[in-house]
Amino acid sequence: MFLRYLKFTIVLINLIIPTTALFAQDNSAATAKQVVEKFQADLISVMKNGKQLGYAGRYSNLESAVTNSHDLPKIARVIVGKEWEKLSEDQQKKLEDLIVRLSIASYAHNFKDYGGESFTYDSEEETTRGGILVHSHFNIPNDKPVKFDYMLKETGPSWRIINIVANGVSDLALKRSEYTSILQKEGFDSLVSKIDDKINDYSKL
Amino acid sequence: MSNNQQNFAINMSAKLIAPLIVSTILCLNGCATTTKTAENEKDPYENFNRSVFKFNDKVDGYLAKPISDGYKYITPQFVQTGVYNFYNNLKNVNVVINDTLQAKFAQGAQDTGRLALNTTLGLGGIFDVAKNIGWEQNEEDFDQTLATWGVPAGSYLVIPLLGPTTFRGVPGAAFDTAANPATYVGGAVNVVSLINTRANAEGALKFIDEAALDPYIFTRESFLQWRNNLATDGKSKPSYDVDLDLDTEESKSKKDVKK
Repeated sequence: MFLRYLKFTIVLINLIIPTTALFAQDNSAATAKQVVEKFQADLISVMKNGKQLGYAGRYSNLESAVTNSHDLPKIARVIVGKEWEKLSEDQQKKLEDLIVRLSIASYAHNFKDYGGESFTYDSEEETTRGGILVHSHFNIPNDKPVKFDYMLKETGPSWRIINIVANGVSDLALKRSEYTSILQKEGFDSLVSKIDDKINDYSKL
Repeated sequence: MSNNQQNFAINMSAKLIAPLIVSTILCLNGCATTTKTAENEKDPYENFNRSVFKFNDKVDGYLAKPISDGYKYITPQFVQTGVYNFYNNLKNVNVVINDTLQAKFAQGAQDTGRLALNTTLGLGGIFDVAKNIGWEQNEEDFDQTLATWGVPAGSYLVIPLLGPTTFRGVPGAAFDTAANPATYVGGAVNVVSLINTRANAEGALKFIDEAALDPYIFTRESFLQWRNNLATDGKSKPSYDVDLDLDTEESKSKKDVKK
């Protein structure tokens, strides 16, 4: 049960990260709810055409969806916590780039086909720190729905996703634990190498 | 990776579990001063836990996975589903007990109905009839009951063969094992349960291998967050700490702009 739950959680987490940047350009006036629903619709659309598109096609389609809906620079900073300040500008840029690519690759790999899944909007609430939490759930035929909470922050004129919490598991918190640990114990080059390997693996699997 | 071992805990006999738990805790007490890592309060025994995690992974790779693969190869899907449903239905006895201990009486009534329906119309639990009428399986166990009673989770632990848990989860697993009828049916039945549990976990284990940069931390963080979410019935706010970080980043950015 834990593993099954974990799988959905991780997929969701990886999905969240790539969406924000493009949204800012194309949907500057979009509300938080609209940002989330647009991303979810893009994802379902890619799933429906997943087999015809192939990995490269799915990656290409999701690139804009992810970039337009997520605040990737902010996500990159939060993921490495205090370690961010210790990185050079080049390293920070490199990490941002890798996180974008990893997120899109993960979506392209994990959302390759469609079996009747859908997202349903539940509600939204303002957080005490000026963010908006959009509550929704992912419906899976013959299985329990997975609760998806999207946290969005206002970045410039638009709302952007900065975290996804699936059935209580925070993608950002999970990634931050992993990334900061690797940075502290093995260093930046090792982290870069591990992320690169994952991206390559996703394209081959 | 270690979830299957956690599921093992539910199904293994109390006689097998008890010595493992006792020896692990004795070892932890003895090794605490040398293995404790101050930077991680929730996982002070990380060095020890990582060793056990590695050991469990080897056992899984050399023993559990090959047996599970063989089981999946020779067993039709509908039989696998039936076996899964059978053991899942037995688990409902435990769910109902913990519903009551947590004073969730309405949920307990539905879970009792679920157990009765699947045991009768579902032919001993082989068919999940209750699911078809919208009675989803609830996840309740004694670890959650202890949380409801105010017992803190304690440190994270990885137990040989059994996988991830917490100090609170150890008595929780022992109670749940004792309360599960499958425990008393016999060794052969428990072996089938173990194999079936591992087979069902195959996809998720593969997923962790694909997604995790550090499988140990990935498993630990997702396990602890998942258990916390269950213990609080979804009322925990796992993102608040991240919020704090974001605010720090934002205030930093504003200061940079002012400069």
